Amino acid sequence: MEALVRMENVTKEFPGVKALDNISFDIMPGEVHILLGENGAGKSTLMKILSGVYQPTSGKIYLKGKEYDRLTPKDSYDNGISIIYQELSVINELSILENLFVGKLPSKKVMGMSLVDYKYMNDKAKEVLEKVGIKRSPNTMVEDISISEKQQCEIAKALVSNADVIIMDEPTTSLTTSETEHLFSIIRQLKKEGKGIVYISHKMDEIKQIGDRVTVLKDGTYVGTRNVEDVSVDDMIKMMVGREIKGTYHNTESDDLSKEPVIFEVKNISRKDRKVNNVSFAVHKGEILGFAGLVGSGRSELMNAIFGAEPKSSGEVYIYGKKAEIKSPYDAIKNGLAMVTENRRETGFLDNFSIKQNISIVPFLKTSGAKGLTGLVDNKAENEYAAKEKADMNIKCRDVEQNITELSGGNQQKVILGKWMAAESKVVIFDEPTKGIDIGSKSEIYVLMRKLASEGKGVVMVSSELPELLSVCDRICVFRDGEIRMTYDISEATEEKIVKTSTGE
Amino acid sequence: MSENKVKKQNQNFGVLWQRYGTIGIFLLLLVVLTIAKPSSVFNSSSIPQILKQSSVNILLALGEFFAILIAGIDLSVGAVAGLVGIFSAQMMVAGIPVPVAVVAGVLFGTIAGFINGMLVNKTDLHPFIITLGTQSIYQGLMLVISKSQNIYGFPTSFTATMSASVGFIPVTVIIALIVAVILWFFTTKCKAGRNIYALGGNKDAAWYSGVNVKLHTLVVFMISGTCSGIAGIVLLGRVGAAAPTAGTGYETYAIAASIIGGTSFMGGKGKIPGVVVGGLIIGLINYGMTALTIPSSYQKIVMGALIIISVAIDHLVATKK
Repeated sequence: MEALVRMENVTKEFPGVKALDNISFDIMPGEVHILLGENGAGKSTLMKILSGVYQPTSGKIYLKGKEYDRLTPKDSYDNGISIIYQELSVINELSILENLFVGKLPSKKVMGMSLVDYKYMNDKAKEVLEKVGIKRSPNTMVEDISISEKQQCEIAKALVSNADVIIMDEPTTSLTTSETEHLFSIIRQLKKEGKGIVYISHKMDEIKQIGDRVTVLKDGTYVGTRNVEDVSVDDMIKMMVGREIKGTYHNTESDDLSKEPVIFEVKNISRKDRKVNNVSFAVHKGEILGFAGLVGSGRSELMNAIFGAEPKSSGEVYIYGKKAEIKSPYDAIKNGLAMVTENRRETGFLDNFSIKQNISIVPFLKTSGAKGLTGLVDNKAENEYAAKEKADMNIKCRDVEQNITELSGGNQQKVILGKWMAAESKVVIFDEPTKGIDIGSKSEIYVLMRKLASEGKGVVMVSSELPELLSVCDRICVFRDGEIRMTYDISEATEEKIVKTSTGE
Repeated sequence: MSENKVKKQNQNFGVLWQRYGTIGIFLLLLVVLTIAKPSSVFNSSSIPQILKQSSVNILLALGEFFAILIAGIDLSVGAVAGLVGIFSAQMMVAGIPVPVAVVAGVLFGTIAGFINGMLVNKTDLHPFIITLGTQSIYQGLMLVISKSQNIYGFPTSFTATMSASVGFIPVTVIIALIVAVILWFFTTKCKAGRNIYALGGNKDAAWYSGVNVKLHTLVVFMISGTCSGIAGIVLLGRVGAAAPTAGTGYETYAIAASIIGGTSFMGGKGKIPGVVVGGLIIGLINYGMTALTIPSSYQKIVMGALIIISVAIDHLVATKK
């Protein structure tokens, strides 16, 4: 049987990084091929090459036997490859029918004029919607349907375009158990029709349930392809973990951190939206506490609630043993609590401000009154903050008057760290602090985090990169469904254990 | 020195436009007017005239500046000015002392701005919608309070002061300049001013940096309302009567002045001195067209074109970066 897609020795280099190194991957008709790997393993990059978004640096791609050096989105579409992203791409403002045919409305000639062929559309829509199990009228607006129906709508859209290969990127992240079951029955039906499915997921039980073959990637390299029935969950976890860790940044000053005084403590934090339920933890002097878990498990939601950026329904925060009333980031700053947010561009820096102004905003607010309304700008202090943080954080810039958008991601992150340091924060929460920054800046940030901890400051780190958590943190809390499921001391923590706890195996 | 020169020559059009665009437009218009009718520029009353025509525009534009700075807008500035005029006029005619009527009028403007700000905060709607609504409400209130009649017959102490000059500078211009200096100090030296720039640049990042977004939004609309209130008093003094439709359409001039003055519609960028020059440009256009005996209807056309041109250039410069 000929493969629908065969990728051979595909390599993709970005400036300074090899995202994919000599990867081979194929998709047979009528199979579900699982693509497995940690964050940053190269799964998305590989699929983006297949959908024509990225061009490979080297390697060959065969679509139904035909050889390509690179694909355009049109090549990919014409050959029946369809991708369903985790953040669905259906358009809420259109009806189901319009979504199915968006960008490719069928037409018919009436008296020489080209008109939309609604009859064909309705007939085809009826056929594909029945297949995916949507029992609604095709004229229903997409904003009125549930997330799981939107996903079915995406599958229907792929069927309309006669897709032979359907790529699903973590399709069950926001589905309930029964919705997942329904999705699986659709997938089984598609298999029967000879479609090839690429299924990207971290959830081991799902892989066992639905997968035929599994290919594991690690750090952009190919680990292997197995038949799912031949491998155990433990085997798969072993294949995907064990990445190279360059250097460690653990505590070396204290023999037993649990005997050190508690610097930062959180008790019974819950949120109204139930994304965080009754979470408590404590950070000891000299310790870096890590938070592992799958994307969407509620770690950022917890940190946002602690920091006051989003409301919490209950819970208390103690800094150096003193209770801190935090209802807004302003209160957090006043209490010496800092947060380096996950999305630099959206919530990190101010793109209309210079480096200097981005640094001074937090210390200025800390020394202001009336919720930030009173107080004068102290130019001398501002220059001092900027000069000190530029040196301390090793910010590479021509001048602190430069606009922050002129800096690289790593240097922008250092400016953000600088603004919290200038405010003499006592506790710093780092939410994915090394996301999208270069390797050199990464280790500088680890060194800084350790320095803060040994200075007696509370350090909390949320990360989706397990090797990073394991090489920096002294204890790791594993988060799943809004709760801490397990806390591992670094001496007993392994990637296998953490992956198992966070996926619920 | 020579190195500096080279550096300056290398500055691209974008930087030049951002730095000198506003003053350039002003000088260009002045040159055009001088060529078209030299006598209108070279006479002793031309400068006081231009300044007088500008004072209300500058005051309204100063308030509008803050609303645009937070990537919003205030469409009610003209209506608030008119309403404050009616309110103070009623008080003066009723025999309430002039200073009391003036202060009460300005405070009334502050309250009108407070209402705008509260509505924006509570509903989370774009200020465009809120102030479009309150514009209509405030205009309606003017008609109700004045019973659609002109109000006049104020104490001469008020009208005389408002039309007086110190040297060749009219009192109304001095008022506008004092307000501008206070707000310039506020935007450059006060932490709250800095926070408002942060809020305008990126609301979410400002919030995560500790800026209380709703409180500062409220302050912005209160400043806008206060400036409109002062503009209303100045307008009342200059005209000598309160018309039930006074201030109608003035928001267009205020928006034009802020934008021509270099305030970015995307928020977070702009300076008070630029806005003052922007207000002067509006005054100069009005003066020049009157001097050239061009009907006032054409003034609106020119104003509209100027808004589009200056925003378009701004946009081009921003996207080229």
